[in-house]
Amino acid sequence: MNQPNHLIQKMQQGDEKAFADIYQMYSGAIQGVIYAILRDRELTEEVVQDVFVKVWNNCSSYTVGKGRFYTWLLNIARNAAIDRTRSKDFKNSNKNLATENFVDILSGHDNLSKKMDALGIRKFVEALKPICIQIIDLLYFKGFTQVEAAKEMNSPLGTLKTRARNCINELRNKVKDDTV
Amino acid sequence: MTREEIIASGLLELYVTGSLTQEETLLVEDAIARYPDLVSEIEQIELSLIKLSEATGGRVPDSVWTGIKEQTEKTIPITTRKRNWSSITGWAAAILCFLGLFWMMKNNGDLKEQLEESTTQNELLKEQIELQGVELAETNQLLQIVRSRDFETVNLPGNVAVSPDAYVTVYYNEAEDIAYIDAQGLPTPPKGKVYQVWSLKLEPLTPSSIGLLSDFETTESKFFKVENIPTPEAFGITLEPEGGSESPTLDQLYALGTVAP
Repeated sequence: MNQPNHLIQKMQQGDEKAFADIYQMYSGAIQGVIYAILRDRELTEEVVQDVFVKVWNNCSSYTVGKGRFYTWLLNIARNAAIDRTRSKDFKNSNKNLATENFVDILSGHDNLSKKMDALGIRKFVEALKPICIQIIDLLYFKGFTQVEAAKEMNSPLGTLKTRARNCINELRNKVKDDTV
Repeated sequence: MTREEIIASGLLELYVTGSLTQEETLLVEDAIARYPDLVSEIEQIELSLIKLSEATGGRVPDSVWTGIKEQTEKTIPITTRKRNWSSITGWAAAILCFLGLFWMMKNNGDLKEQLEESTTQNELLKEQIELQGVELAETNQLLQIVRSRDFETVNLPGNVAVSPDAYVTVYYNEAEDIAYIDAQGLPTPPKGKVYQVWSLKLEPLTPSSIGLLSDFETTESKFFKVENIPTPEAFGITLEPEGGSESPTLDQLYALGTVAP
């Protein structure tokens, strides 16, 4: 995805229209990441809201050319979602997230979400090997560092990286097939 | 690392997911600077991950954006209002400062004027005090004179035919041949006229002029000194044309009194 540097800079100068455009471009993906962590529609929507308010208030802390804007956004979103998992409300809802990954959304308790979203994710899940699902889940959705992820998977760092390369390549092929 | 090695390493994937160490991140950014077409590779990685998570989360409800607008619109005007407020405060302070400055300058001017006025008044008062000091000294001197034993007091009652209310007192010092005329009891002479003082011998009647009470009106004390007095038997005062006369005009005799033998 082309990074809209022009829009980012306009947003940094306080342009609300540019902020709205950026929201349009990224909110779906950010919501997916947060939902993969929280598994709760209502909480997810709250956190998406918080994240974009943070983006608007702190957008000057991103520097074009220093890292991807999406990665910057991703970090804010994952941190906000993980923060929320530590809240009292969330703990009371008795979720055992450690053993779940984004694929579990398919078997989620939320019937509505199943109907609405399952088809979208299923086509990706079917294209990915289980090991790829784990790697992508850890590195992308859960925000593990490579060391943490390697430890979780009992594999050396180098292997983790090449696996990540291969798995995301599969994903890319699937995306390409879809758009062609 | 060559371009192909970088692509094959998996560094770019972890760059997008934000899983690299700081050194590795710098390494990737350095590689991007050398091979700018790596950006399109990164963009495809990013796009695939974005598509995946979009499929995971589904459609974002409109209420989310409404909530964001509510919060950001709340913050934006507050910051602008804050800015305005501080600038208004600044201008108000500046204007107050200027007003204060002008007020103080005006006050300063007024005070200077007052000071000058006071100084002038002070000087006038000083002059008056000096003048009064002089007058007091003169008065004291006169008092001494009239009290002293060397002076004889001669009362000159007014001439009933001319000026019945008039009276004059003469303090006469025979030894020194001087006299002081207290003319307080005489009316102010008409314009062009002057009182003339005479020393008289009675047998035969021989008047000798001993002086004019010139500047009668302006002499506050109405006390006049006359000298070189031929031994008198009486003193008389007549009203004469300005400059005085050789001999007294008797129908204008205002006061007359004899010296006690």
